[in-house]
Amino acid sequence: MSDAVLKIRNLQKSFGEHRVLKGIDLDISKGEVLVIIGPSGSGKSTLLRCLNFLEEYDHGEVLFHGQLVGYRKASHNRIIRDSAKAIASVRKRMGMVFQSFNLFPHMTVLENVVEGPVHVRRISRSDAERDARALLDRVGLGSKINEFPSKLSGGQQQRAGIARALAMNPEVMLFDEPTSALDPELVGEVLDVMKSLAADGMTMIVVTHEMGFARDVADRVVVMDDGSIVEIGSPADIFSNPAQARTAEFLRRVLH
Amino acid sequence: MGYSWDFQTVWEYRQVFVRGAIITTQLTFWATIIGTGLGLLLGLMRRSENAALRYPAAVYIESFRATPILVQLVWIYYSMPILTGLQLGNITSCAIGLGLHCSAYIAEIFRAGVNSIDKGQWDAARAIGMGYSQMLRRIILPQAIRRMIPPFINEFATLIKLTTLGSVLAVNELLHEAENLINNTYRPLEIYTAVAVAFAIMIYPFIYASQRLERHWKVRS
Repeated sequence: MSDAVLKIRNLQKSFGEHRVLKGIDLDISKGEVLVIIGPSGSGKSTLLRCLNFLEEYDHGEVLFHGQLVGYRKASHNRIIRDSAKAIASVRKRMGMVFQSFNLFPHMTVLENVVEGPVHVRRISRSDAERDARALLDRVGLGSKINEFPSKLSGGQQQRAGIARALAMNPEVMLFDEPTSALDPELVGEVLDVMKSLAADGMTMIVVTHEMGFARDVADRVVVMDDGSIVEIGSPADIFSNPAQARTAEFLRRVLH
Repeated sequence: MGYSWDFQTVWEYRQVFVRGAIITTQLTFWATIIGTGLGLLLGLMRRSENAALRYPAAVYIESFRATPILVQLVWIYYSMPILTGLQLGNITSCAIGLGLHCSAYIAEIFRAGVNSIDKGQWDAARAIGMGYSQMLRRIILPQAIRRMIPPFINEFATLIKLTTLGSVLAVNELLHEAENLINNTYRPLEIYTAVAVAFAIMIYPFIYASQRLERHWKVRS
């Protein structure tokens, strides 16, 4: 797998006594759509947050294009926390979309989207605004660019969140339960945007409870339970012919 | 009952009030600069994950909040020269003392304001690759400051009134000037009333502006 964008090796993480990730191994290739499903508290979101180091992991490795994320080797093979600058430079190459949107409420939709390009990537405001308008058109918010987030519906806010992440020109997009906070009738508009991104070849890692999305869009589905990967397979295998009893049990509960 | 008010005397000596108000304003100005700058620093230190920053800030804040400001002022003006050989003028001592004092309160206002911002805002700012000071400047403080304005104005109004303690160090601020005037004119009721009105005139515009600002922000976001 020479084209692996992310490699995860024996990733472990505890919150106090509670082991949230118990040794995760996973590769994500360029252009792949990987969907992570599993019961609440199984460690899906924590795994995702370790990838851009919003969450510090305790053991194992996350490699982004072969480069260790969050830590570096010091003398005598000691592993120490990487500099804030190095961590930030990895983060700006990954886009992240949050369950609760986390738009900046003191900025308009357009300002939200140009914030990263102007102040982190340091491109000119006029270029950033031109790109932002195109992105906002693409997610169907062309008419809302000067609104504040509080004036938007949840679905609109999440689409703005996706545009904000895309504006950084990320190599991979991380979606942390992007539709879980939405009213049911607003889920579709967000999933449609994600589908069109997938169709364009974006590398995506999606933590979700939307089984329909997993079945239709995923290249591979990862089933997690209790901090471990239960099984990985194509959507057809996972949904029609799961190898593990725990997968079958989980699907039986969520699909009925 | 038979007291006859005489505000004519107050009017004749209006220059004294203006002179005092100028000193009061200067004290307030410098104490606000010191208090806000140091308060921000202390507030951030107290939130730090680094104990070497957190503990000194906590000790400073709690010491200044737990001791009387009058003692702090006397300390800076009378005790510091004995201990360090550094003798500051009375106005400077007073401005610094008030600044140090209110920095402890402003630190707590900053800390509470920053803590009140949703954790997701930090996540979102980090996720687009922002550094700590950039997140603070662009994302966290612009939101937190809106919540800090009411307690900050409150602290500011308290500070203006605390400048009257300058009279203990013989600073010619409004109250001290007024007391001198009382000794000459024997009109304490009128003069103290005038002092109260002068303070109200200085303080109320800030309270009004704060209320307007709150309303403005409520409408905007």
